[in-house]
Amino acid sequence: MKKLIPALFILLLLASCATVKEYEKVYINDPDMKLTANTNERFETNFQVYREGAAGANGGKTGGGCGCN
Amino acid sequence: MICAFFVTTAQNSNPAKGYKKRVLENTEVDFLMSMYKQEGDHSAVGGGVGNEELTDVTPTIVISMPLNDDDVLTIDAGISSYTSASSSNINPFNETGASSGGGARDDDDEYDDDYLSGSQPTGTPWLASSGASHSDILASVHVDYSHSSDDRNLIWGADASFSVEYDYTSFGFGGSLTKLFNEKNTEAGIKGNVYLDKWSPIYPTELNEYDLYGGNFLSQGYFNGVNVLDQNGNVSSGYYPSAFTSVTDRSRNSFSASFFLSQILSKRLQAAVFFDLVRQDGLLSTPYHRIYFADKSNYYIGEANYIPVYTTPQNKGVYQLADDIERLPSTRFKIPMGARLNYYMNETFVLRMYYRYYTDDWDLKAHTVNIDLPVRFSQRFSFTPSYRYYTQNEVKYYAPYEAHLSTEKYYTSDADLSKFNSSQYSAALNYTDIFNEFKISRLALKNANLKFSHYKRNDGLKANIISVGFKFIFQ
Repeated sequence: MKKLIPALFILLLLASCATVKEYEKVYINDPDMKLTANTNERFETNFQVYREGAAGANGGKTGGGCGCN
Repeated sequence: MICAFFVTTAQNSNPAKGYKKRVLENTEVDFLMSMYKQEGDHSAVGGGVGNEELTDVTPTIVISMPLNDDDVLTIDAGISSYTSASSSNINPFNETGASSGGGARDDDDEYDDDYLSGSQPTGTPWLASSGASHSDILASVHVDYSHSSDDRNLIWGADASFSVEYDYTSFGFGGSLTKLFNEKNTEAGIKGNVYLDKWSPIYPTELNEYDLYGGNFLSQGYFNGVNVLDQNGNVSSGYYPSAFTSVTDRSRNSFSASFFLSQILSKRLQAAVFFDLVRQDGLLSTPYHRIYFADKSNYYIGEANYIPVYTTPQNKGVYQLADDIERLPSTRFKIPMGARLNYYMNETFVLRMYYRYYTDDWDLKAHTVNIDLPVRFSQRFSFTPSYRYYTQNEVKYYAPYEAHLSTEKYYTSDADLSKFNSSQYSAALNYTDIFNEFKISRLALKNANLKFSHYKRNDGLKANIISVGFKFIFQ
């Protein structure tokens, strides 16, 4: 939690600095720039949930829905 | 009929409301497949010792269809078919046991496991057994519905999921809300999910027999006529797993709340932070994970000459009988938090970075770093090398093979909860069919990708995974 609050604060601070117009988002809208995991990462995320103690904060399962950690 | 439905839904715009861009122009169909193979020597079923070979094949289909201009329905269905040396050793011995004559070798499969010493059954944690638990299929379906407001600044969704495998059933549902601000430069979202899962517990054979027959179990059922050996290889009647009781609570419930905030920082840079709160309760241990206590005598079934090399792959014919199964608290509270930063360097390179910190009340702390570098070498092809580093300490209930004491309340020898670090190296090839030239009937290819990853843990576990995906647009 101590680490999240500064991150949120910095992000909100930066949010007030710049606005990128819709017509200026050609780079931002590039498929490789999306802020979610790629489709083909789902299988890796799945096995990592089983093989590692940590999970979550990446769109994958966090322990529910499987007999995993 | 399905085709007709797609066409109907795709044409279901309402011109009276004026033009607005559809959230999803056409129905999209993803065909995905992965093949995973791992090997290791810290089987949790073997109490921290034994073969962890596992293969898993996972064909999946994802269909996203626009119901109208604003609504999208996504159906995600797949099966996961696996074979596992580790779980095969829930019953490491030949299936009939001595209770039906003992001498019959009924194992007629390719697994070279069920050695017989005279008329006695044997097993080993270093080879796969042939029991029913050596393979299983998990089938799952997930349905997601989302609605976007006319100005596309508010999106809400609901989802439900169901999955089933031999000893585990899961039902889940959830909802999400996303709000876009600041000319869509800022996006904030919240998501809640509930999973109501149920175990159908299966226990290691020796404990299952103890559970069935109680104090006289060594002369009944599977153990009838089977020689139990002590540490010196002498036949003994001293094996009595008094710590074992079958589980009473078979449920596992998970409640999660996820928050995210993303921000466009410049024309080439954007970032997001993710934060989850997860509470689980119920049976959080796995009922077929064996535990061997350091302060209890050891007992075996099999060939006595292998007892001195029990913890090495030289052991071809003896299996140690469990003192208990893994025991873990009935609640767990997890807090993962992550951040992603993507930078569009130029037309050739994009840099994608991800970091996650994880902590929970079992004292597990973990760090994850992932870097992708997509490289575009034409309009159609890109290549993405990736590196992922992960490190965790051990949960406070973990100890390796034969290190727990019977006086402890909670214990696990599952190496997945031990201290380790891992590296994963990946390479992905992506093809984009710009003009959707390749067609199968009314499905036009949008893109295809192939990814290979090698995963290596510093405790010896290694895995390879190859995945392939084809995204088609329904025309």
